Amino acid sequence: MKKLRFTLSEDGKISLMKYGLSLVATLAVGAVMILLQGENPAAAFVEIFRGAFGSRAAIGNTLHWAVPCMLVGSAALVAFKSGVMNLGLEGQLYLGGFVAGCAGYMVSLPPVLHPLFCLLAGGLAGMLWAMLPAFLKLLFKVDEVITTLLLNYVAIFFTELLTLLVISGAKALGTNSIMTPLIHDSAKLTPLIPGTSATTGIFVAVAVVLCVYLLYRYTLTGYELKQVGENLKFARVGGVNANKMFIIIFLVSGFIAGLCGSAETIGVNNRFISRFSSNLGWDGVMITRVASNSPLGVLVVSLIWAAFKAGALHMERTTTLNRYIINLLQALFVLFISIDYGMLYRKYLGWRARKKMVEEEARKLEN
Amino acid sequence: MENERQDYVLETRNICKNYALLKANDHISLKVRRNTIHAIVGENGAGKSTLMGILTNVVKPDMGDIILDGEKMNFKNPMDAAHHGIGMIYQEFMLAPRFTVFENIIVGFEEKKGVFVDRKKCRERVEAICERYHFALPLDELIDELPVSVLQQIEIVKVLYRGADLIIMDEPTSTLTPQGIEGLFDAMRVLKESGKTILFITHKLGEVFRVSDEISVLRDGKLVGTYQPQEVDQQKLANLMVGREVILQAHKLPVSAGQPVLEVKDLRVRDADGIERVKDANFEIRAGEIVGIAGVAGSGQQHLVEALFGLAKPEAGSVIRYLGDEVTGKSPRAHRADRVGYVPQDRIGMGCNVAASIWENAIMGYHRATGFHPKWLIPRRQAQEFTSRVVRDFDVKVQNLENHIGSLSGGNIQKLIVGREFSQNNRLLLIEDPTRGIDVGAIEYIWEKLIRFASEGAAVLLVSHDLNEVMQLSDRILVMYDGRLRDGGGHGELTEEQIGLLMMGGEVG
Repeated sequence: MKKLRFTLSEDGKISLMKYGLSLVATLAVGAVMILLQGENPAAAFVEIFRGAFGSRAAIGNTLHWAVPCMLVGSAALVAFKSGVMNLGLEGQLYLGGFVAGCAGYMVSLPPVLHPLFCLLAGGLAGMLWAMLPAFLKLLFKVDEVITTLLLNYVAIFFTELLTLLVISGAKALGTNSIMTPLIHDSAKLTPLIPGTSATTGIFVAVAVVLCVYLLYRYTLTGYELKQVGENLKFARVGGVNANKMFIIIFLVSGFIAGLCGSAETIGVNNRFISRFSSNLGWDGVMITRVASNSPLGVLVVSLIWAAFKAGALHMERTTTLNRYIINLLQALFVLFISIDYGMLYRKYLGWRARKKMVEEEARKLEN
Repeated sequence: MENERQDYVLETRNICKNYALLKANDHISLKVRRNTIHAIVGENGAGKSTLMGILTNVVKPDMGDIILDGEKMNFKNPMDAAHHGIGMIYQEFMLAPRFTVFENIIVGFEEKKGVFVDRKKCRERVEAICERYHFALPLDELIDELPVSVLQQIEIVKVLYRGADLIIMDEPTSTLTPQGIEGLFDAMRVLKESGKTILFITHKLGEVFRVSDEISVLRDGKLVGTYQPQEVDQQKLANLMVGREVILQAHKLPVSAGQPVLEVKDLRVRDADGIERVKDANFEIRAGEIVGIAGVAGSGQQHLVEALFGLAKPEAGSVIRYLGDEVTGKSPRAHRADRVGYVPQDRIGMGCNVAASIWENAIMGYHRATGFHPKWLIPRRQAQEFTSRVVRDFDVKVQNLENHIGSLSGGNIQKLIVGREFSQNNRLLLIEDPTRGIDVGAIEYIWEKLIRFASEGAAVLLVSHDLNEVMQLSDRILVMYDGRLRDGGGHGELTEEQIGLLMMGGEVG
């Protein structure tokens, strides 16, 4: 009997080509852009690298940014891998952030329990917010693209309103931001590297990514989630309860997005600040896109994303370039990643086979 | 010499076409005599479609020449090929609903008066064609309600209107009843007599001998040879196609029907538009029995099976009993848990997930019905074992279980899907067109497995558009016409023509 086993397939080759070519193309186009602004691209890239990994503080910064990137990336992955267009990560993140902020200053708990309680509360808030579009879809067949997208705006204003109610309309001294009071020290995430902004939040983030990885790799639910995303009819015929899967996807995705908001609140700002998210939700969509919906990919891409974010500020300080050039590079990378390299590869193989054949013909004719 | 060349209306020389890893056409040099019906036979994937694509310029060849009427052609686009008199009738009809027959015929090739369509002149031409070739078409009726055999005639008139001298017909009989096929063959003979040449693509060997003047066999992208009908027979042709000995006869085992597994009473199903597609269906299937449902496509078979598997909701008053328990309206998931299997007709859209690996496709259904240990996990080892079993028992040609199922051929995908459903100890199997569009070797294999599966005590509902398949495999035959089930007798009780009559709504006296 022929022995059959699992090994790496041809897809591996294509993936490798995909990331390699995209990186080269992004750097090339990015270099031209930087050149056009009269700076040396090599120097700019070196500054980005220094800002991300050049010192203890730099590494701390990168780790600090990696937390929201990994979390929101996982939240997006859970949705997009199953074909659910949850564009409401931003809103779910705000609800999570707000509830975590309240839990941080209203409740008194011992140090280790308090942050965990805040994270859990924030996650549940994000989850509840995500249930809205899920039920609208199941009961009234409203497309989740519309509902999740628009509920983002509702969430931003809603949390602002709630914050005003919580602080009875009084603004914090000396600022124009609408924010909740500072959380108790017991609720703060512990610093990981003293003197830097890295916190133990990174453990939470990595744990979440690993959970998502295990979910898809080994569990029945993960298998069904994937099949629902790739071919809904096939999954239904195979006995998958698609409606239940749909709810699970929204709940899990919303929970992780809520976690992300909580981690930002108790790990970085130490309070809920309205409009604190600099489009983190959309970073999540880009991260999972670049990672091709692979959980371990999210881990790697999030680190790259975080390094870019940390490096961008440093580059802005040391060169004349604006830090938004980084956003441009990220967007370019997403663009190049989205090319169908598998198709190009097959076309290349066809072209090679044709060329070889024509050459053989010519040789035969000569003889 | 000159005369001999003129004898051929079409000649291809060393046509080659390569796809990534596949030689679809490998030095095909075909000669087609003028005024003949030239059959082209071959298994799926033998290169028939590619060759026809090249003739109509839908596919660009890598090399080789097309010689039409002794002149080397260099088509610029498919329209150019059409203008040179090559007309193609596809398996799936290219007709626009909500338009009349007349409009469908002239579209794209209208006679113009300035910028306007000269309907009168078009009409005269269409009517002249219908008269000359004996087609009685309802020119002013809408396409929508017309039966398949008429749609096909419309396609034929369409290519004639476009001035085709060489007409390519791709599997034209696959959707027709025996009577419809007879009508088509008559039309083909009339066309031949009035000077046209027909390339008749098929894999039904019986039909080849009824109309063809010459037969070309393709295998693995190569032309095996061109034969006169009198120098070969069906068996020889089948062997040439497959490259080995094949048996086209199913070996039915005698069965003793056991307990009723599925009982259907007064089943009625409406489609999304509220039209009743299944009308008062009553039947039962016993353990060990294969019940076949024959019928023209779209007679309600699809809705019947969907209702039985819980994909569509039956009307109130319908009763479906499975092993004595009522299961009307239960979900596919519940049916899976009850050990009901389903092989859908649409194998790419419903039967598999082309984006997933072979093992992921193999365990679908099994993961719910039987499951793994522990219950909520999918351990790789167990998944691999189950997949290997399906692959081995059903002779699926795979290299690596992690590969995408899309890397397999249609026949191998079908074997995997059928194998998956057969390997789960299912008590009842709903199976639609299990062998549609797959090669003779795979058909033979699936038929044999199906018969053995039933003989081991399972109940099978076989819905097929291939009448021969239904007649070969079924212990009892039901015929579906316009949503109603009619008795088609036991195995071998009625002739093909009689069942064909039932399929058209006629009565067997």
